[in-house]
Amino acid sequence: MSVVETPKPYSREWLLSDRPASRRQAKLGRAYVVWSRFAENRLALLGLVIILALLVVAALADVLAPHNPVQGDLMNSRLLPPGSAGYLLGTDDQGRDILSRLIHGSRLTLFVVVLVAVIAAPIGLIVGTVSGYAGGWVDAVLMRITDIFLAFPKLVLALALVAALGPGIENAILAIAVTSWPPYARIARAETLTFRHSEFIAAVRLMGASPFRIVLRHIMPLCLSSLIVRVTLDMAGIILTAAGLGFLGLGAQPPLPEWGAMIASGRRFILDQWWVAAMPGFAILIVSLGFNLLGDGLRDALDPKEAGQ
Amino acid sequence: MIHSLNKSLRVLSTSAAFGLLLVAAPQAFAATPADTLVEGFAIDDIITIDPGEAFELSTAEITANCYSKLVMLDPADTSKVIGDLAESWTISDDGLTYTFKLKSGLKFVSGNPITATDVAYSFERAIKLDKSPAFLLTQFGLTGDNVADKAKAANDTTFVFTVDKPYAPSFVLNVLTATVASIVDKKVVSEHAKKVTPSADYKYDTDFGNEWMKTGYAGSGPYKTMAWRANEAVILEANPNYYGEKPKLKRVIYRHMKESSGQRLALENGDIDVARNLEPGDLDAVQKKGLSLTSAPKGTVYFFSLNQKNKNLAKPEVAEAFKYLVNYDAIGATLIKGIGEIHQTFLPKGQLGAIDDKPYKLDVAKAKELLAKAGLKDGFTVTMDVRNNQPVTGIAESVQQTLAQAGIKLEIIPGDGKQTLTKFRARTHDIYIGQWGSDYFDPNSNAETFVINYDNSDEGKNKTLAWRNAWDVPKELSDAAKGALLEKDSAKRAATYEDLQRKVLAQSPFVFLFQQVEVAGYSPKLKNFKLGPSFDTNFVYPVSKE
Repeated sequence: MSVVETPKPYSREWLLSDRPASRRQAKLGRAYVVWSRFAENRLALLGLVIILALLVVAALADVLAPHNPVQGDLMNSRLLPPGSAGYLLGTDDQGRDILSRLIHGSRLTLFVVVLVAVIAAPIGLIVGTVSGYAGGWVDAVLMRITDIFLAFPKLVLALALVAALGPGIENAILAIAVTSWPPYARIARAETLTFRHSEFIAAVRLMGASPFRIVLRHIMPLCLSSLIVRVTLDMAGIILTAAGLGFLGLGAQPPLPEWGAMIASGRRFILDQWWVAAMPGFAILIVSLGFNLLGDGLRDALDPKEAGQ
Repeated sequence: MIHSLNKSLRVLSTSAAFGLLLVAAPQAFAATPADTLVEGFAIDDIITIDPGEAFELSTAEITANCYSKLVMLDPADTSKVIGDLAESWTISDDGLTYTFKLKSGLKFVSGNPITATDVAYSFERAIKLDKSPAFLLTQFGLTGDNVADKAKAANDTTFVFTVDKPYAPSFVLNVLTATVASIVDKKVVSEHAKKVTPSADYKYDTDFGNEWMKTGYAGSGPYKTMAWRANEAVILEANPNYYGEKPKLKRVIYRHMKESSGQRLALENGDIDVARNLEPGDLDAVQKKGLSLTSAPKGTVYFFSLNQKNKNLAKPEVAEAFKYLVNYDAIGATLIKGIGEIHQTFLPKGQLGAIDDKPYKLDVAKAKELLAKAGLKDGFTVTMDVRNNQPVTGIAESVQQTLAQAGIKLEIIPGDGKQTLTKFRARTHDIYIGQWGSDYFDPNSNAETFVINYDNSDEGKNKTLAWRNAWDVPKELSDAAKGALLEKDSAKRAATYEDLQRKVLAQSPFVFLFQQVEVAGYSPKLKNFKLGPSFDTNFVYPVSKE
């Protein structure tokens, strides 16, 4: 009788073992697989680095920003080109340092993205799973409501909502959240339908679990991975919508250094002082790209079925 | 054979050369004709060129160049009035009756003589039509029923005008320089009058030629209006019957061009001689290309006002602190460079009695002291309704920054003109930033709106700017403004306004920022091109071309 050699805990073999000895080992093993698949993708890593950098910049904005983002020297430092002494990315029409504004603006961008995700994703998840699991008229009603929201272009609906609620960053967030949950509901419902009749659900039901418990504890966790992928991929869209609202004057109000609003105020100078509009444009581009790359990588890692498609 | 081939070849090459010439021709003659002045101008505000109806800025210029009035502003000193059609005038001792004596031998463009009957008809017509500018004349107590008595021809060359109160003569005469008092050709206009059915709103059976005059012309100015095509062009041609100095150029064409950049390109290429709506960025570019610029302060002042219904803003120390919290120098040097001049009194430069005192400058320490005195050491939060266009948005953002230095948090509420104005008129704003353009070239226009508040209750009918900010004007000030209106001596009247401006500057909830400046870029070939102090003094007849 030979003794099966148990690998050293937390080693590669231990993580990849097809016979995990504990739940913890199984979970860690799964995470390791996901991570190694993610790490193979260079672009995804780049995306991760961009987003981590964004987090660091936002957290340390007060330390990193060389100037006050909302106080400029109108008289002496208006519309200075990039590379001017003390103003790496130049200054805007109020004499404010663009770099400092971009750094502080990263907080607003994160604030918008995180809040929208926190509001929209759970709504979509609940609506989708309940609809998928319950079926019947509950499904019909919830899905028709979803259809109504999907029938309008997202930005137009957000515009209408902000116009009704009044301009401001909180209202912009609310408007974006209200318009972005329907796709999540659709995804969650589709996922729910695939394992609604599977045996493990039937088993849980036989054990007397309430529908509430089934949806919350057994269906939702299974929908999470595809939802996370979708939300991450949507982040770029959320940033663009927020910037679009800011550009139209309906998002963040002056003097907040919101990137979209910064582009809007710079467009008057686009011919002669291109940097005023271009710098926040680059910032939006890079961060959107980061979220997209990260989302792509996550999809490949979490959902091997679709990888390479 | 060879010969004939050669011949056809020659024909071919000649025609080819001609063809090339034809193609090249428009390029070669891009310059404007030597006897024509071409101006690029945003004229989309014109809705009619009837002087009895028009009250738009671009129309004011057209009317001023094409119609004569009884009196006009002295181009050399606009605080004075000189005769246009009137040779002289006398004012009765009770200050109510103005008798104008017309110059002799005057003719309309049609060849009809200009008589006092035409003058009386022009006044009657403006009053009875009752269009937007009619209030200028009705404020003297004229109505459709009494106009025949109050504005009448005593004989062919004598026109008698009666007002209801002994107003300051300078006030009456200044108002009579407005385009609504332009003299039209009674005979021509009557020929084109259309019958209408009297109704409750309009009780006359004729439209006084209003419909025809929308695009027609019946005047006697240096130029005559040949055509107005909406959003396309206005064409003026020299009037051979003009009594004064003949215009130097035969024709003036105002080409509708909306965009500053388009005007800049056309001016640089020589397609137009004058660009009228250049924005600050394009002004610099035009100047660098060796083209000329001219500018003139206009009768529009920009200000922000503190609603006295707001408890914090009602404190006099706070109002004064706000006046110290504007970076006047920096705004003047950057945001309004070329389109405005820092100005802190309520009368625009050029009007009778206007002073140019600038006691306030950015002084955060002083403002903090004043706020502390008002018990607001830690500042407060207040909103400002801002129309989302430039330069006001930029100025609002600048003020936001300087206010923040004194602890006042300003929230900007953007909106379109209608939204912000509606709120302002309903007195539901905290702070409003905007402009006021004088209705007529007399200090009373601004004095009334800034200093007189007839009824400070929400039901107040006369919504002057003082009312809109719920400013219960000290009696001393409003009495001074009312008294100046009836002051016969121009010098004394001017002195009253000077004193009033200083007091308003110190006490009012209005923070005056700057006076608008109109700028035009023009080709160096033009001689004597100038802008006047108001939109109806932008005369083109002295302009000549090299």
